Amino acid sequence: MNTERNLPEGFEQLEPYVESWSIAGAANRSRRRIDSSEQERVAFFNAAKELAGPALALLDQKPLDQLDDRETRLMNLILSLAHVSLAVEIQGDDEPKHAKNSRHITITRASSDFNA
Amino acid sequence: MAESPATQHIELDEDHAHLGTGPIPAGPYYQPEYFDLEREAIFRRTWLQIAHISELPEPGSFIVRPVEIARASILITRGRDGEIRAFHNVCTHRGTQLVSDDSGKRSLFSCPYHMWTFSDDGELRSAPDFERFYVDKSQCSLSKVAVDVCAGLVFINLDSSPEQSLREYLGPFAEELEQLPVARATTFSEYTYEIEGNWKLTYDNFQENYHLRFIHPRSGEAANGPQNPFGYPIRYGFHGPHRTQTIWSNPDARPKPFQTFGFMKGAEFAIKDGFGASAQGKEYYAIFPNLFILGSPMTPFSQSVVPISANRSRGIIRMYWIGEDDCASRRFAREYAMATARDIHSEDRAVIQAGQRGLESGALSHIHFQSQEILCRHLFQEVDKRVEAYRAERDAARAKA
Ligand code: FES
Ligand SMILES: [Fe+2]
Repeated sequence: MNTERNLPEGFEQLEPYVESWSIAGAANRSRRRIDSSEQERVAFFNAAKELAGPALALLDQKPLDQLDDRETRLMNLILSLAHVSLAVEIQGDDEPKHAKNSRHITITRASSDFNA
Repeated sequence: MAESPATQHIELDEDHAHLGTGPIPAGPYYQPEYFDLEREAIFRRTWLQIAHISELPEPGSFIVRPVEIARASILITRGRDGEIRAFHNVCTHRGTQLVSDDSGKRSLFSCPYHMWTFSDDGELRSAPDFERFYVDKSQCSLSKVAVDVCAGLVFINLDSSPEQSLREYLGPFAEELEQLPVARATTFSEYTYEIEGNWKLTYDNFQENYHLRFIHPRSGEAANGPQNPFGYPIRYGFHGPHRTQTIWSNPDARPKPFQTFGFMKGAEFAIKDGFGASAQGKEYYAIFPNLFILGSPMTPFSQSVVPISANRSRGIIRMYWIGEDDCASRRFAREYAMATARDIHSEDRAVIQAGQRGLESGALSHIHFQSQEILCRHLFQEVDKRVEAYRAERDAARAKA
């Protein structure tokens, strides 16, 4: 097992989700949500929802262009959570139907894509 | 067109019949002949929103934008003098499209064909072996297009001498739009969709709430409640061809925990940006012919429904932000707001397309609008009035010829 830490201290609980959900680019995050299984979404949402506040509080202490690799991964993870939370918390079992429509809406530009 | 200077309002419980109650012909929502008339009667002579001022940040910035319905490509520049100018993106030598990039920074534009070179004020600067031509350089400037800016929104008018200035055209809405985040925005997020739907049918979907509970049962929960089961607006306002609605929201709605977290982050920055108690926060403007602007500082979006053909359109939704993301929380708040609005918008496309397929069968001669679909009725009337006037003008010109 890989024991190297990918996230800042205090967010060990989210380590298992880094590979799947720490994604650069708003369009990629949105696409990942649409392509994911319910099981993956629920697991990630439940693990991360209470940590979003503490994560942002930590990241807010630095300008965005000075985040180190671990912090950047955490930022991207929390941004993915924005998309995933809508699937789990709002759409619930409507998500598969919703995802079908959602594929036709393309994010062409997002503020989070700049100086990321 | 003489128009009353003030916006006329009707409240939720008032009579909504002043725009008529009759059925509406179905043909205008799918027939290519009607679309051809709209091209001339509306899109070639009306102010059309085409860009945001933040896309032309400094002297030398330029953008190129298509206007498909007019088969036009428009070059918009910010000159060294700071002026915004617009031109047909067409070389005056033999008509080649001049600029192929859709944005950049440059103050000279050279045609790829024979290297005629124009400056950002449209003048022909140089042309190889020009002595052999039979024309003066001053006669060869790029063809100008009327352009003006209101609330940071860049509008063009393909009419060579527009009947009204942009301000006159927008009337009291100009002042209101100037109060919104879009007017101060320096950047935006954007998502788009292509749709097999007439531009009016598509646009109408976004100006009636009758469908909310059926099409947005989850994402639209806060938009209706037992007191207002369909989430109809509090009031409607009309000014000339434009309209607005004041959105009702359920005071008893209970946002989900993470949703509350996302909204609170958004509210924090809306207040920081000075939009805490915005008078236009619940207004949803429909600017004729094809633009929407939501006044909410939490969800500050515009949508253009771009007509492509009688049964194809493109939706362009933008959310306007003041300043780049300056911290993690702001970045998160913006991502959450965009993802939320995108979810709602994405739910409408399929049912609009189903409407288009139904209408195109020709099965219906007419469609019906109820009193709370009055904004759809108003759009049709404003379109049809112009189409009829154009038809009469054209027929008179033909009779004369
Ligand atoms: S067509 Fe542009 S230089 Fe000849
Ligand atoms: Fe809708």
